[in-house]
Amino acid sequence: MIGMIMFIVALFMLMVGFPVAFTFGGVALFFGVFAEGMDLFAFMPFRIWSVMQNKVLMAVPLFIFMGVVLQRTRLAEQLLTSMGRLFGSLPGGLAISTILVGALLAASTGVVGASVVAMGLISLPVMLAHNYDKRLSTGTICASGTLGQIVPPSIILIILGDVIGLPVGDLFRAAVWPGVALIVLYIVYILILTRLKPEMAPAMPEDPTRSRQQEIGSALLAIIPPLALIVVVLGSIFTGIATPTESSALGGVGAVVLAIIYRQFSFQMVWDASKDTVKVTAMVFAILIGATAFSMVFSYTGGDYLLEDWLHMLPGGEWGFIILAMLVILILGFFIDFVEISFIIVPILAPIAEAMGINMLWFAILIAMNLQTSFLTPPFGFALFYLKGVAPPEVRTMDIYRGIVPFILIQILVLALIVVFPGLFGMSATN
Amino acid sequence: MRWIIKLDEGLARVSDLCGWVACVAMVLMTANVFYDVVSRYAFNEVSIGMQEMEWHLYSVVFMLGIPYAMRTDGHVRVDVLYTKWSNKTKAWVNLVGAFIFVIPFAYLIGTYGYDYVLDSYQMGEVSPDPGGLPYRWIIKSVIPLTAFFIAVAGLNMATFALRVMTGEKSYEVEHSGGGLA
Amino acid sequence: QETYTLRLAETWGPNFPIFGDTTKRMAELAEEMSGGRLRIRIDSANKHKAPFGIFDMVKAGQYDIGHSASYYWKGKVPETLFFTSMPFGMTAIEQYAWFYHGDGMELMQEVYAPHNMLSFPGGNTGVQMGGWFRKEIKSLEDLQGLKMRIPGFAGEVFAEVGVSPTNIPPGELYTALERNTIDAVEWVGPALDLRLGFQQIADYYYTGWHEPATELQFLVNKDTWDKLPEDLRAILRTAMRVSAYDMLVQSQHANAEAWANIKEEHPNVQIKQFPKDVFQAMYKANKKLLKEAAEGNEQAARIIESQEEYLQKTRAYTDISTRAYLNTMAEVE
Ligand code: NA
Ligand code: NA
Repeated sequence: MIGMIMFIVALFMLMVGFPVAFTFGGVALFFGVFAEGMDLFAFMPFRIWSVMQNKVLMAVPLFIFMGVVLQRTRLAEQLLTSMGRLFGSLPGGLAISTILVGALLAASTGVVGASVVAMGLISLPVMLAHNYDKRLSTGTICASGTLGQIVPPSIILIILGDVIGLPVGDLFRAAVWPGVALIVLYIVYILILTRLKPEMAPAMPEDPTRSRQQEIGSALLAIIPPLALIVVVLGSIFTGIATPTESSALGGVGAVVLAIIYRQFSFQMVWDASKDTVKVTAMVFAILIGATAFSMVFSYTGGDYLLEDWLHMLPGGEWGFIILAMLVILILGFFIDFVEISFIIVPILAPIAEAMGINMLWFAILIAMNLQTSFLTPPFGFALFYLKGVAPPEVRTMDIYRGIVPFILIQILVLALIVVFPGLFGMSATN
Repeated sequence: MRWIIKLDEGLARVSDLCGWVACVAMVLMTANVFYDVVSRYAFNEVSIGMQEMEWHLYSVVFMLGIPYAMRTDGHVRVDVLYTKWSNKTKAWVNLVGAFIFVIPFAYLIGTYGYDYVLDSYQMGEVSPDPGGLPYRWIIKSVIPLTAFFIAVAGLNMATFALRVMTGEKSYEVEHSGGGLA
Repeated sequence: QETYTLRLAETWGPNFPIFGDTTKRMAELAEEMSGGRLRIRIDSANKHKAPFGIFDMVKAGQYDIGHSASYYWKGKVPETLFFTSMPFGMTAIEQYAWFYHGDGMELMQEVYAPHNMLSFPGGNTGVQMGGWFRKEIKSLEDLQGLKMRIPGFAGEVFAEVGVSPTNIPPGELYTALERNTIDAVEWVGPALDLRLGFQQIADYYYTGWHEPATELQFLVNKDTWDKLPEDLRAILRTAMRVSAYDMLVQSQHANAEAWANIKEEHPNVQIKQFPKDVFQAMYKANKKLLKEAAEGNEQAARIIESQEEYLQKTRAYTDISTRAYLNTMAEVE
């Protein structure tokens, strides 16, 4: 029960406004020392060492570095505004461009801290500068930044493959259509919303001195270099030149090369970019370390056993089971992070599902979709914290909390579609 | 009061130094990964030592970056109430938080981290992989060192809060990591 | 009567097949045999988050028992290398004989004693497969510059004959092999390899030589051991020994099932053996590395000598019994 009380206390403490990372760590410290004694924290160096050795997370600083360089050299702005111009007088162009760029980044990394922060750096300033609604902007960025969790490669899918015992390749293939469905529905949502409320996402101002043809031509020309960079990153993964993690370093070096080509390069620029990167990376990892202390105290005080007991009370019946399981994961996603959910919940649910003759690939994709949502659900959705960490001060936590709601609803819709019409996504519900 | 200002500025320099080291590591790490990819793809050469160096540098980046980001108030806060508060209230939040959250947390990680490094040092731990890096205790010592610097930055939070309370300083934006984007 | 609850940390994640079944079985046996007086609570890697911190955690008493593999600690204590499996070394039966009836157990305790721990055999995978290759290896030449995920001592042997051992995080292994970032992957055997899906992307599955009998270990903190009453120690020892034996047979069973599955559903997979010149070069490299390990390390030298002597004797008998029988069967069929 201590774990549950700890969550509630942490929630209140977060509201006070002390940095999130240390609030997690500090609350964990009080409950941990109270329940188990100081020696519980002898596990912390091991947990930090695991993060240090986790090479997949290297993508976080490397990706952020690429994002910062693209932002400092204004190449990101050029990419997005040009893409936005292609939409002409249609509102919402920048938001749709953001989703498309997010989809491309999603295909090159599976680490949420990396893609959300990079997306925040690349597109938030541009959207705000063009008078986009704060909530719409932050919601779009968080949602498209977390696409990387379902679009392969993805850490969630790798972990689920390991826990359920499914080949990663099968999972990656199965996740493609659900990922595409999300992207399409995000765009549809933007189109509908801007039709109803164009002032939330104004169209790019038109240049009266140029014809529409010229506009399109120059926009296409401006898109090429940054797009080429993304193609290099993705291409290096698809051709096997680099692993997804390594490709983010190619992206960083590529961004610097672009800066040289565009005469934006200076050593000061690289140094400043590196400073920004260090700050933002540290912000992300401090949260990870605070959260690992938190989940350590949660599980060592018996929180994981309590969850197990609750799960075993789930009722039978295939549909009842699926719906309740999804509900439980969704609700837990508000509070604990996806790794804990994968490792505590899934090992219990998987054998039950298997015994019911449920297709495990389908089941895994459902869980993955659901876990992706957990990054976005307030109050503990990490994607929201990460974006807040790089957003200008006029963007409030509440803006981000509210802005994400429609996108969460879309994710739940896609989840429901996969449940009801698995055939649409090339899967079947039973073996 | 004078000595508080002196102390505050001195502590800030320690965090800035951490930041400097982390920034150098950041640049080196990007170059390191890039080099490893190129040498593997173009020259078919792989060095486990260089591959390990990647995560050694990465660890330095994010660990030593933490005190640096504290100094620049770069750690994200939930601002539902915080922005509405006066400088004085904010200072109290930070002063109390530094002493009950940051410093004890850093202290525990530091002491247990020290044991962790000492054990590795006494065993003469090296990488278990062929061609891996020796002296594991060096990279492991980043854990207690970071804890120490986090404690220093926590103290720095407190001294700054005191300066704000006297009205000599103020919190300009609620966190300066913000505005990066 | 007093009950004892011991905490066990394992390197593996929850639900990890075979390896994880072994600890569960051990805990069940211990509890049943002791009438509930000895309870063992298992924490998998998801809980302690330190798969390769088992040695340190049991040493420091943060856990009473660990389940892992001795050769993981080679970077900390070089002599621990010898108690898992050695290239061109003994088979599982031969190695168990060395542990329980030869000098194996005594030498192992000697290595772990300075670290306040006891080590017991913890279950065997049987012969591990030599790895998944995307190209066929026809000669020593084909190994030059070949990028392979192969950790530890076997990696050093491979490196001696020209392979470039490469570190890839397990999560990126599949993609790395699929896209030729690396050329080959060594993992365990059919049952566990099947889960990672290598059969879908690599055609050549090589037979093993580098880990003919991978023995896991139960590490027990010495203070914990000392405070257990005599009868519970006997129960714990028995539970560890029975569950270790059971892992060997479960491995045989699960691998046979998985291999039947691969044969039927992935006809692309071909079993290969390295050519003779490759084996000879690796055999020589192995000898050279062992000699280097023995130099200036009296303890390592004694362990290597004990293993070599034991292997010679026991293999002579294996030759006229098991091998002779398998040869006969091969002729008859
Ligand atoms: Na992805
Ligand atoms: Na292996």
